[in-house]
Amino acid sequence: MTSTDQQPFLSIKDLKVHFSTEDGIVKAVDGLSFDLVKGQTLGIVGESGSGKSVTNLTILGLHDRDRTAIEGEILLDGKELLSASEKELERLRGNKMSMIFQDALASLSPYHTIGTQIGETYRKHTGCSKSEARKRAIEMLRRVGIPQPDMRVDDYPHQFSGGMRQRAMIAMALVCDPELLIADEPTTALDVTVQAQIMDLLKDLQQEFGTAIIFITHDLGVIADIADDVLVMYGGRCVERGTKKEVLSDPQHPYTLGLLNSMPSLHGAVDVPLTPIPGSPPSLLNPPSGCRFHPRCAFADKVVGDRCSTERPLLELVEDRGSACHLTDAQKQELFADFAATRHN
Amino acid sequence: MSFSRRNFLIATGVAAASTSVLSACSSSDSKGSRDNVPSVSKSEAVNIPVGTKADSAGPAPEVKGAVKGGTIYSLDQFDMDHMDPAQIYVSTEGAITVPIMRGLTGYKIDDKGNCTLVGDAATDAGTMKNGGKTWSFTLKDGIKWEDGAEVSMDDLRHTFERLFASFVTEGPRYVQQWLVGGDKYKGPYSGKHLDSLEISGKTITFHLTEARTDFNYTLAMRGYSLVPKKHDTKEKYDKRPFSCGPYKIGDRKIGKSLTYVRNEHWDAATDPIRNAYPDKYVFQFGFELIASTDRYMADKGNDQYTMSIFNEVAPERIAQVLTNAKYKERVLTQVDTVTYYWPINMTRVKDVKVRQAINWAWPHQQLQTIRGGKATSELATTILSPVTPGYEKFDLYGVDKKPGGDPAKAKALLKEAGKLGQKLVIAYQHSDNAVKSAVAIKNALEAAGFQVVNKQVDKSTFYTQIGKVDNDFDLFAAGWSPDWPNGYSVFYPCWSGKNIGDGRSNYAQLNDPSVNKAIDAAAKIADPEEANKAWGKVDRQIMELAAVVPDYHSIRNWMHGSKVGNVVFDAGNTCIALCKLYAKK
Amino acid sequence: MFRFLVRRLLGALVILLIISAVTFWLFYAIPRDPAMMSCGKNCTPDMLKQVRHNLGIDHPIPVQYWYWLKGIFVGRSYGDFGDCSAPCLGYSFANREPVLGTILDRLPLTLSLAFGAAVVFLIFGVGAGMIAALKQGKWQDKVASSASLLGSSLQIYFVGYIAMYFLVFKMGILDNPSYTPITESPADWFSGLLLPWLVLAIIFTANYTRMSRSQLVEQLSEDYVRTARAKGLSRSNVFLRFAWRGAMGPIVTIFGVDLGTLIGGAIITESVFSLQGVGRLALDAVNKSDLPMVLGVTLLSAGAIVVFNIVVDAVYALIDPRIRLA
Repeated sequence: MTSTDQQPFLSIKDLKVHFSTEDGIVKAVDGLSFDLVKGQTLGIVGESGSGKSVTNLTILGLHDRDRTAIEGEILLDGKELLSASEKELERLRGNKMSMIFQDALASLSPYHTIGTQIGETYRKHTGCSKSEARKRAIEMLRRVGIPQPDMRVDDYPHQFSGGMRQRAMIAMALVCDPELLIADEPTTALDVTVQAQIMDLLKDLQQEFGTAIIFITHDLGVIADIADDVLVMYGGRCVERGTKKEVLSDPQHPYTLGLLNSMPSLHGAVDVPLTPIPGSPPSLLNPPSGCRFHPRCAFADKVVGDRCSTERPLLELVEDRGSACHLTDAQKQELFADFAATRHN
Repeated sequence: MSFSRRNFLIATGVAAASTSVLSACSSSDSKGSRDNVPSVSKSEAVNIPVGTKADSAGPAPEVKGAVKGGTIYSLDQFDMDHMDPAQIYVSTEGAITVPIMRGLTGYKIDDKGNCTLVGDAATDAGTMKNGGKTWSFTLKDGIKWEDGAEVSMDDLRHTFERLFASFVTEGPRYVQQWLVGGDKYKGPYSGKHLDSLEISGKTITFHLTEARTDFNYTLAMRGYSLVPKKHDTKEKYDKRPFSCGPYKIGDRKIGKSLTYVRNEHWDAATDPIRNAYPDKYVFQFGFELIASTDRYMADKGNDQYTMSIFNEVAPERIAQVLTNAKYKERVLTQVDTVTYYWPINMTRVKDVKVRQAINWAWPHQQLQTIRGGKATSELATTILSPVTPGYEKFDLYGVDKKPGGDPAKAKALLKEAGKLGQKLVIAYQHSDNAVKSAVAIKNALEAAGFQVVNKQVDKSTFYTQIGKVDNDFDLFAAGWSPDWPNGYSVFYPCWSGKNIGDGRSNYAQLNDPSVNKAIDAAAKIADPEEANKAWGKVDRQIMELAAVVPDYHSIRNWMHGSKVGNVVFDAGNTCIALCKLYAKK
Repeated sequence: MFRFLVRRLLGALVILLIISAVTFWLFYAIPRDPAMMSCGKNCTPDMLKQVRHNLGIDHPIPVQYWYWLKGIFVGRSYGDFGDCSAPCLGYSFANREPVLGTILDRLPLTLSLAFGAAVVFLIFGVGAGMIAALKQGKWQDKVASSASLLGSSLQIYFVGYIAMYFLVFKMGILDNPSYTPITESPADWFSGLLLPWLVLAIIFTANYTRMSRSQLVEQLSEDYVRTARAKGLSRSNVFLRFAWRGAMGPIVTIFGVDLGTLIGGAIITESVFSLQGVGRLALDAVNKSDLPMVLGVTLLSAGAIVVFNIVVDAVYALIDPRIRLA
């Protein structure tokens, strides 16, 4: 699906984000690269602590600069962000790039009205008057489907329902028509109906404005709904990349396979048992050697010798498709056959 | 910090008058005499004799080098509770009112610091007739109230009649008890006079129910100072008394400050007692001992003209102050007339040997150390304080030789009495040092073969509890200061069998016929010198019966600013003599 | 808001009523006899009875309480001692003044002391806390944190005397602490209270530094603060309008309690600096077993705390729209 002829709007190259903590260095992101073009949606999948949120905060420059060591490159529309000044970043944030956070209740200020919060973003970046900002806020609320927006604009977040809050959040993120929208699990806390509405809203808006979207989730079902491309993260690294179809129907990494097996299929038989991935996500303070997934990998013994625990598997991409695993293609075909049997119909 | 002044003063009866002065206390300029902390061995009891008619004439003897003018300030912890003389019993209130109140008699301090009883408002210290049952005083001419009106005989009579009013509850009650018909008289406000007060010309005659040879001393108490009939506001008089002294109240903020300004109607020629050098006194209240001590030590600004009526050197600073000549020269040190002692309940501890054993075993020195050492107290071996006339020095139970107690001797006595293991219940007041003292006493007495039970009693009810005839204590902390300077004022209220009873002050419940007889006899002796000898013997007699364990006499240390002149002790009010001070130029 | 105030004020009255009743009862429960304190050295049972009558404590306790309560609304006569007009909180026999008058006389000092110290400790405490929170882990934070640790372990007794010794006695920079009404001379008022303010504030500053630092640190890690930054708002804007707003609630709460307590009298500070405020009044009243005064001061303290609690709740509601006053 990825069109190589288009200039990437966002380009991340070998990004490393390391935090220093009292216990040592946390390698939250450890060599991540990807490109994103306008009008496209990249889904980033992974468990908590896989580095997906950190990546996005780093793009916005919201990491704690004093405690974070960053290497690599982040280019937004050709502009290097890591070396940008705080002032430059402030001009970009909420304007050219904006973010929707997971928990709208916690992420909206409880002390200010919805209208103020939406409006102040607009004022900050356009320098318009208060009344114009208010008008814009009402318009945005209407666009995200809040009924009676001219009344609700003066409400506080706690007076909104969960779904409305998330819509307001989206309205706030989109108020300046951003070119890059990062949505960090925007639907996780919502019930399925509202979730679907929000997704539709995002898709509509993307169609309208050609926004590039990074959609972070641990829910592959959501990915199936919205993403064009998928990037699977594990332990601060990308373990698999590909189009939505490629990754979901033909996973190339045991972790992706594990994720798929742990979620119910919308299409498959109801009686197929769900198998969660054994073990827990790796400590980024002291990550496993070699392949970071190897302690939890069901197929680590299939690889000759102890390569899995000693040698880092490289992400080999062909046409933005590939995975980081020591298993050979033949082994994958054989070992992942079960999955194909249950899912491929 | 001690907030217990009031309880302490009322309960122990630290009151108006004292007896004699130490040679050391005369003047702040005689530095040599205060280089050492006074001790009993050096103190010399001097009589306060009755002065002549000439002694009673004004003006007061000039203080050498004194200058007129300026303001004297004070820093004290509390304001006075009372300013109605009829309600005044405590010594600080008596002292602070010297500049504005005058009684029939008062104490005159001469240029050598000697004290004499003289006529203040009266022309002399009174004429006794009928063996002491009748006393006459003649009012001086020219004594005026602050409004310019002359003090009248009506005022004089009214002063004594109003003592019987129901609102008078805190002042001394001697005169009320002794005046004929006083038991039925209810005060002048219903229009009735007391017949035993006889007015004739400028002479007032008191008719008493019993012979009181020292009645003129009694009248020197502040409680018997004059009150103008016309300006008697009854209960409210306590807030704003009317002056006939050299000063009058200029301003008063209760609890905060009190200012005296000159009473221009006062005539120095009528007053043998008050010099009245400063133009103004400003008393300031609300200062902890440590706050006033620090300010005296710093000696800055107006604090140079400042002294204290009540605040002594703070215990935290006493060592620093007394060991540094720079500070010490601004301290007035004085042994107090109060004796702190431990009456033994005679009703419960009947065996004299047991009581003597307690005396032998007593840890005087340990208790002194707990109190803070020699700077603030002297060990006592007698009931009378060394500064009370009649004091005779003796030491029946070896305190001088063994100030820490002699457990062996005590144990031997106890064994002789067949009372080894005798149980003693001791009552203490709650205080900072009570627990430590209790332990020291328990240890000392148990070493001598007693079995000791300590009981702490709340301060405010302590004297009510030990004052009950039927109480459960064998030994209790108490103290007494005479109301006027002689033995009667100590022995009659506390050691006569007539004063056993609930609320009375014979706490030991001593009812010994020979002691009673000796007290009655001594009270009738008109010659003060003879009387003093007799009181000294009563002291010894009671100590032989071991009805009490004398513990200590307190030493008071007042500090003042460098520009306060002639800081001398007023033996009559056991305080700094306000009317002798002057502000140095 | 109106309903809230009415409801809370009624509640406050009930609380004060209970407090007064409990104080009344406690006063008589302790083994202390106020009559003994006003009865002379030769106190006979008859005299004691007379004193009880004069003090008005010869009635049963509930009756006395009723008289006292009634006095607040209709005033009271104390015979020859004088009248005490409504609202009469009783008559202090120790001071020979109506209680309310004495309290009102002492209150200006205590209010000056409380508010003056509050200004100092708010500025320094919250200021240091803000800096510490902004410079987390840096030297500014370490200095502020150590200073607050040191400050919180100091005693007014200690600091007060040390400060007096150096600033007043040794160097003579400041005068002896004293109180001059601000209406008489603002300059004297200020210079006389400066030292007590500073010393009293030292003790409180530490608390506010720690409190505002921890609150701000917590708020700065809140999601909505991050959101505000993600919107492109500047650091200072986010700090003041978002994080600080959130941190204010708890600070306002303890500030209300502290202020209420201070208005009840800063006993130690007033003692150390020899200031005649409500605190000293309370102390003296207790020592003199002056029940009417004890009651009056207790009610003032309790009233101040209760009132400030209501104020705090109202302010809290202004700060945080999630809180509804009802």
